[in-house]
Amino acid sequence: MKLDRFNQMLLESVGVGLAILDLQSREVLFANRRFIEWLPGTTSVGQPVDEVLPDIDYKSLEGKVAEGELYVCESTIKVKRRSVSLALQFTKHTHNDKPVLILECQNISKIKELEYMIESYSTMVEKQNRTLQREKERVEKLLLNIMPKTVYEELKTFGVTTPQKYEAASILMLDFVGFTDMAIADDPAGVISELNDIFTAFDRIMEQFGCERIKTVGDAYMAVSGIPEATPEHAQNIAKVAVLILRYIERRNAAHTNQWKCRIGINSGTVIGSIVGVQKYVYDIFGPGVNLASRMEALSEPMEISLCEDMHALIEHDFRFIERGEHEIKGFGKKKIYTLDSAHSMVSMNTSF
Amino acid sequence: MASSMFERYGGFASVSKIVLSFYDKALDSDVIGDYFEDIDMPNLIDHQTKFIAMAMGGPASYTNEMLRQVHADLEIDLPAFNEAVSLLQQTLEEFELQAEDVGVIIEDIRNRAQYIIGT
Repeated sequence: MKLDRFNQMLLESVGVGLAILDLQSREVLFANRRFIEWLPGTTSVGQPVDEVLPDIDYKSLEGKVAEGELYVCESTIKVKRRSVSLALQFTKHTHNDKPVLILECQNISKIKELEYMIESYSTMVEKQNRTLQREKERVEKLLLNIMPKTVYEELKTFGVTTPQKYEAASILMLDFVGFTDMAIADDPAGVISELNDIFTAFDRIMEQFGCERIKTVGDAYMAVSGIPEATPEHAQNIAKVAVLILRYIERRNAAHTNQWKCRIGINSGTVIGSIVGVQKYVYDIFGPGVNLASRMEALSEPMEISLCEDMHALIEHDFRFIERGEHEIKGFGKKKIYTLDSAHSMVSMNTSF
Repeated sequence: MASSMFERYGGFASVSKIVLSFYDKALDSDVIGDYFEDIDMPNLIDHQTKFIAMAMGGPASYTNEMLRQVHADLEIDLPAFNEAVSLLQQTLEEFELQAEDVGVIIEDIRNRAQYIIGT
């Protein structure tokens, strides 16, 4: 094909690959330098382009071009060992009254490579995100085991928590009589495993009455009602769980060799709840109400629930009590002490153990 | 926690350039280029992206077992492995990674040679 010198220079200098093809046979009449560079198969003028670009749908190309429209497609060819992606555009023109096809092509390999890379990278990142999410949920679950949800939310939002004062809360303190001797007996692992079962059962009882386990220290178990959500029933709830715990232990002892005996102290009063520690978080409760519950526990005989007049006033119509007279309580002066008569107090729960 | 090399050198935006440069070098190499002859581009790019990200402590982690699997059918020999390592080193140096970091990456790859070399 004869092109004047200027046109030829122009076609050689553009940044796209350009070829002029015979409309019918699609033989290459002219190809610029870039076209030949990208499609090294195009060595001779006169070769049909179908040979170097075999994966093009030439039927639909003919249809489109016949209607005077553009035909746009992509094709990947293998040059040496490298995949070259080309964006192609065919248009019909006339040159010296002869119909020709103009083929423009752009090398989009780099774009494709980037596309694949972004795809690969985003898959990696998404996978990592899912792993992180799972990890986060696991950590959240762990933290929720050691602090109430509202406190956790506060910690998450502000990074710190402020101690909260709860005017109306009730506390349960429990420990096992002779646990140390039991633990060092023949089968320490077995004893610990049993303790674990028992505390798990306690947790389920707590859950039934909206009470929250604060912590266990060795064989001691501490729970509250009215923290972090206030409830008018806090005293009743703690008394109920105390009764159910005794019943659970009794039933368990009837079926097991190891006999567990616990002492329980309960009390109602003002409680401060707060996270203690920076690296090692512990949610703990403080205040005279807590100390008094602890004194009540110390006053209990095995398998007994003790409380003093403060809490008794709140629940005296709901349970039966045995009066034990006044006692001098260290740090609190003289107080009337009661034993909750668990055998004659009606308490039921939804699930059975 | 100390930030990874991947983060220090600008994350994916920078590392993507390293990946493409290494990809080009690997394909052009007469020693190892033929290993990539029949692998399609998406797969190869995917592999390179993960590989470089892993080498630099990015969000991918190829376990040794995975490395063994992806290279199992390629029957890579020691000269090919050495060529790939030296191309990688060259690429990393071109992108002006500190010599110390390049050393860490190359040593890590060399330590995994047994999972890549297939003969």
